[in-house]
Amino acid sequence: MARRVKVEVARKGAGLSSLEPIDASPFRMAASPGFLWFTVVAFWMFSLLPWRTWDPAPDLLLLVIAYWSLNEPRRVGMVTAFFFGILMDVHDGGLLGVQALSYTLVAYGTLKLSRRLQRFNSVVQCLHMLPVFVVAKSASRLIEGWLAGEWLGWGWFWSAILMALLWPLLDVVLQMPQRRHEEGDGGAV
Amino acid sequence: MQENGSLKLFKHGPTIEARLVVLGFLALALLLVDARWSTLEPVRQGISIALYPFQRVMLAPRDGIERVKGWVDAANELRIEKEALQHQRIELAQMATHAAQLAAENEQLRRLLNVPDTVTQPAIAVEVLFEPTSAFNHHLVFNKGSNSGIRPGMPVIDEGGVVGQIVRVTPFTSEAALVNDDKLSVPVQVLRNGLRLIAFGGGADGKMEVRYLTAGADIQPGDELVTSGIGVLFPAGLPVARVDSVHRDSATGFAMALATPLAHPERHRHFLVLQVDVDAAHRLEEALGAQGELL
Repeated sequence: MARRVKVEVARKGAGLSSLEPIDASPFRMAASPGFLWFTVVAFWMFSLLPWRTWDPAPDLLLLVIAYWSLNEPRRVGMVTAFFFGILMDVHDGGLLGVQALSYTLVAYGTLKLSRRLQRFNSVVQCLHMLPVFVVAKSASRLIEGWLAGEWLGWGWFWSAILMALLWPLLDVVLQMPQRRHEEGDGGAV
Repeated sequence: MQENGSLKLFKHGPTIEARLVVLGFLALALLLVDARWSTLEPVRQGISIALYPFQRVMLAPRDGIERVKGWVDAANELRIEKEALQHQRIELAQMATHAAQLAAENEQLRRLLNVPDTVTQPAIAVEVLFEPTSAFNHHLVFNKGSNSGIRPGMPVIDEGGVVGQIVRVTPFTSEAALVNDDKLSVPVQVLRNGLRLIAFGGGADGKMEVRYLTAGADIQPGDELVTSGIGVLFPAGLPVARVDSVHRDSATGFAMALATPLAHPERHRHFLVLQVDVDAAHRLEEALGAQGELL
């Protein structure tokens, strides 16, 4: 172990600045439950506004739920996803269960991949999340289309892509309070 | 191994697969039940009522901005509206004398023929609250519900004609299916010759389809379709749509016409809900159903 550190120091060159941990990635602090539920409820209420009538609009509420089920799986999981899916179904006046199904599938996919996802940074994570969003959205669209007897195009596919693209941004925003906390603690450790 | 298993059990509760199966089945069951029957309506209504305050809170800034905009533009808008109204007043004055004459004549004829008088329909003015996001149906949600006397089945009109029909109500909101929604059908009549037909929503580009025509039916592009009053729910004489094209299929012997709705639900925010006697329509339906069973 000592030898490895030495090698690292030698590689990086002498000086105090080289005495930093090999793994420079920040530690993830647990998010406070207050902040977590505040973001979920805020994004849910934001989804009640009429901007979602545009077919490729990203489903931000679903994105936030997926994000928290990856980072705080003990608080937000499939039951939360199902619950908010039902609320959105009622708000949109569609069939009950359509969005509940896709929300549940996204939460499942995120939890299933969580071990793997935690090894990567948010940019690589979003590549993993894209198929999850596509599968979940297509499953609900297929069933809905089958029950309605028509197929309404691929607008939802763009929505899944936009959601994946927004993932890194969401990661930055939702990790902000935890980082600030960490900086405050920096001197004490 | 065993230790691992027991640890997992305490840590996670039911596995995520088990949760997926339970919640997935629940969602599918809800979907199928909701698509075929209306047993879930009370549940939906309960959740809608709980959602209502949140919807109003979120829409409050938009309503506020529109009110301010309305105040700012008020002078300009009033001038334009005044001009339009003056035009209309002159036209209507002419029509009114004509109509009064016709009404008197009509009343006399009705008395002679012993036909009961038509009643004027009470109506409720409603405002659009929001347009629900659903790719599969064309709906609007209004700001008044069963507390104001709105019930499912009542027709919604604007100055162009029939806009749609109320399909769902909560105490504070009501949801209408527009005429181009594929679940809606309106009994209509060709204004030119009185031919009775049924217009269905769900055509391409928001158009209506008039189906089940015999190939020789006298219907042409440009014909105006008005409600026929059959089936009680839609009062007679409301404009519905104008025929664009007629497709005659010589192989099947049937024809189909495409028509553009005359109402413009996308342009306005205020509509009228006609308070027709929904119960009478149900009674009629039941009576017809019973008759059908007897036959």
